[in-house]
Amino acid sequence: MIPVAVLTGFLGSGKTTLLARLLRTQQFSRTAVIVNEFGEVGLDHDLIETGEESFVELQTGCLCCTIRGDLVLTLEDLLARRDAGAVAPFDRIVIETSGLADPAPILHALMGDRELARRLTLAGVVTTVDALNGLGTLARQPESVKQVAVADRLLVTKTDLVGSGNETDGLAARLAAINPAAEVLRASYGDVDPERLFDLGLEAAARKGPDLHAWLSVDALAHHPSSAHDTEISCFAIVRAAPIRAVALTLLLEILAEHCGADLLRLKGLVNITECPERPAVIHGVQHVFHPPAWLERWPSPDRRSRLVFITRGIPQAWVEALLAAVEAEVGEVSGDLQ
Amino acid sequence: MSGEVPEHVSELLAQSLAAWRVSGEVAREAAGTLLITADGRCLRISRAPADLPFRWMVDEAGRTRGVTSIAGLLRAIRGALDPGYRPVRLRVAPLPLLPP
Repeated sequence: MIPVAVLTGFLGSGKTTLLARLLRTQQFSRTAVIVNEFGEVGLDHDLIETGEESFVELQTGCLCCTIRGDLVLTLEDLLARRDAGAVAPFDRIVIETSGLADPAPILHALMGDRELARRLTLAGVVTTVDALNGLGTLARQPESVKQVAVADRLLVTKTDLVGSGNETDGLAARLAAINPAAEVLRASYGDVDPERLFDLGLEAAARKGPDLHAWLSVDALAHHPSSAHDTEISCFAIVRAAPIRAVALTLLLEILAEHCGADLLRLKGLVNITECPERPAVIHGVQHVFHPPAWLERWPSPDRRSRLVFITRGIPQAWVEALLAAVEAEVGEVSGDLQ
Repeated sequence: MSGEVPEHVSELLAQSLAAWRVSGEVAREAAGTLLITADGRCLRISRAPADLPFRWMVDEAGRTRGVTSIAGLLRAIRGALDPGYRPVRLRVAPLPLLPP
């Protein structure tokens, strides 16, 4: 399986600088890059030094809204050329979105294609935020808020342009309010440890066992449940000691998808399923699209509580709690009726 | 109409109005049924009689319909109270979370 990372961030936030720097490192020498530029004349391509054959520039519009099909075709073509030996045998793909992109439809495109699913795995979402202008951008541009909200890692760039003090404190507080679950890294001129940046998907977390807890970020949420009131984006965790029946979890997800749709920015969880208590189920969804649950061989720690982490827009935690309680009660009642 | 609605369902419906940004309230009636009032409309929610193949009954202005689940109850109520409601179906993607 080839990991695919999504690199997003608002216009001018340093995505291309970061990518150019990463591609010069040994760890990223076998990386294929897909760059989506918004506009008639692509410049980013010229700023990134990489093998032509494994570099694809998409210029037909904003990746998130017009060319999801193009992205799938591009990935299929890239894999076919790799199989045929026409390109270097890359072992990682990075998709750089346009600065205006909503990452969610891109993730849907990656998650939703059956053929790609046999070859690719989602390695995570990295979002760059400009240290100097980030706070203002987040205030003015809703796209940038969504980019931050769905990130696994946040990379604050251009840190050389700002000193310490209110400006950086304000940005840090804002990022923590939108997405406390994401680790925040800082970089100047794209100088950051590549493995810290991209080794963040669930595969990596599951491989490392205890890091799964970090992937879920429940501890961070327990101490800093967040709500960015002006954008209504909030991040919260629901923790349940009692196992959850499989059908109750399914019903919960169906109802969340039905009523929340695009406002359910991201949901990830580790669930103790009643019918399979020895093997935790890992769930992950973006808006109404979910991966099939992944069943781990064993619990990564003695903590067997179910943990569901939500990043939402305008969905109250109390409603999700009440919904889960009602669904569980109904499933329990029906099960009792049948016995 | 018959049957007391459990407290957890009352709580869910009150929270649901807030989540859907529907201005209204949920009140319990003497018979144990719930009365939802919002934007000049009234919906009465009750447990379905045991001889019907439903779990809940939703009554509005004398027109009663049965629903079989919490999911159906929420759909019926929101459909009645939220003109902008466009339900979205859950989609399960083929891409696995972990390599096989």
